[in-house]
Amino acid sequence: MAYDKPIPRKGQHTKPFWDGAKEGKLVIPRCKECNRVHWYPRLICPYCHSMDLEWIEASGEGWLYTFAVQHRAFGPWAAEVPYVTAFIDLKEGDRMMTVLRGVDANKPEDIKIGSLVKVEFEKADEDTYIPFWRVVGDV
Amino acid sequence: MARADLSYAAAIVGACESNEIGYPEERGPKVTSLQHHIEAIKNVSDYTGIPISDIEGVFSAGWSSELCEHLGLRPKYIDTTAVGGCSFQIHCHHALAAIYAGIIDIAVVSHGEAGWSYRGQTGRGGGGGEVSPGYEATAAYGTFGAPSQYSHAMVRHNHKYGTSPEDFAHISVVTREWATLNPRALMFSKDTNPFGGPITVEDVMNARVISWPLTLFHCCLVTDHGGAVILTNPDIARSLKSNPVWIRGAGESMGHSNMVEMADFTATSAQHSARTAYAMAGLSAADIEMAMIYDSFTITAGMTAEMLGLAPRGKGYTLWKEGHAAPGGRLPINTNGGGLSFNHSGMYGMQLLVEAYRQMSRTAEDGVNGIEGKQVDASNCIVNGTGGTLSTTGTLILEADDA
Ligand SMILES: [Zn+2]
Repeated sequence: MAYDKPIPRKGQHTKPFWDGAKEGKLVIPRCKECNRVHWYPRLICPYCHSMDLEWIEASGEGWLYTFAVQHRAFGPWAAEVPYVTAFIDLKEGDRMMTVLRGVDANKPEDIKIGSLVKVEFEKADEDTYIPFWRVVGDV
Repeated sequence: MARADLSYAAAIVGACESNEIGYPEERGPKVTSLQHHIEAIKNVSDYTGIPISDIEGVFSAGWSSELCEHLGLRPKYIDTTAVGGCSFQIHCHHALAAIYAGIIDIAVVSHGEAGWSYRGQTGRGGGGGEVSPGYEATAAYGTFGAPSQYSHAMVRHNHKYGTSPEDFAHISVVTREWATLNPRALMFSKDTNPFGGPITVEDVMNARVISWPLTLFHCCLVTDHGGAVILTNPDIARSLKSNPVWIRGAGESMGHSNMVEMADFTATSAQHSARTAYAMAGLSAADIEMAMIYDSFTITAGMTAEMLGLAPRGKGYTLWKEGHAAPGGRLPINTNGGGLSFNHSGMYGMQLLVEAYRQMSRTAEDGVNGIEGKQVDASNCIVNGTGGTLSTTGTLILEADDA
């Protein structure tokens, strides 16, 4: 089935991320000065303010920081309710937002903060593979 | 009256441009407005030797929140005055006043406008049509509107402190109790709204789920509102027929713009804006006698009470659950019935101010303590507004003239 959810409009500073996603890789920015990764992509390191940045392939693993179950949504997402949105702490540092997979939206009490999660990419169009995270292990 | 004492109160110590101005596309890729801002700030930082992390005040024509987040700054003064081409002269004027007042020592005034690169597209200034990378990172996931975001904070608070949605439901119940004392409140009674009048914790928990664990009664109203306040100097203030209410302390800060950048989902920048306000006032949380706390959601109010020091971390909800915040309690909170049950128009900060003025100036209804024009036996009030997605905070400490 064709991807029917909103597809983010891409800015001009994030191409390496989208290129990586197309190959199933999670590519995120890292500062060459202080070595810390950050998400979302910046023009300048938000920690040490160096502009000497590089893109690295991350492990694609992390932990569930927090979540919620959406019972009301707009546009194509409305057909999916209830569904689980979440924030993921990346193993390399910093945090991403996502729609969480591998969980039952009708049993939020069974979803455990701290669970091990892995990224996967879904093709939205030729140039856009959207990252989603899936619970793969216990706390 | 011109203020002669402001002359020489501040100086401009550097002025730099972004790397590619004019027609950047003739030499390389298009340049975004954000990029113009960031490069110029980096360049003026290098030029002056002032680290970006030392900047305390950020002034721009509408960009300050995004710039602070992009730079990882926690400013003490945020100004986004956008009144066209003269905005930057006005920013300098505002920065002068802020520096003179001792609120900040270092201010940046920033401009970035891809008037050519992004020509012909609508949006902010001439640099519209661009995509904010923070928005780009979260746009795919179907969260829209505040409830879908704030629910994540409730879940994290429950996890970290062992609290529950039921604990926070008490905030709704007590706030509704205040609304039943305020004839202007939408939820004053069954006559003013079919859902009005007193509610129970069970009512809150059994209401329709909006974004689990937030039910409808954990969420604020959506209404119309208009309001205005006037401030003046002490001499004029004492000459008027109306009662003055004094600003004893004030502070502002921000943590993030996009929720994905919120470092700790159980803490807001109110801890910083309140610290500034308490220091200015020479007061501590123990001195506060009533509070007007932005309650877009129960989690907003409970968490903010902790940030203001009115309760220990993880225990904000107990102010309501144990009745302290209720009519007749030791620390009345949200005496108008709050955004939850009085009125919430989207940006609720003005409603907070109007109610704080009413209570401190003795122009409210005669209340539960038998004091004329007051619902509360309080001579000061802390007022805390929260903007965005638990993003930005402003704190005021107001004091009655008869305190
Ligand atoms: Zn760095």
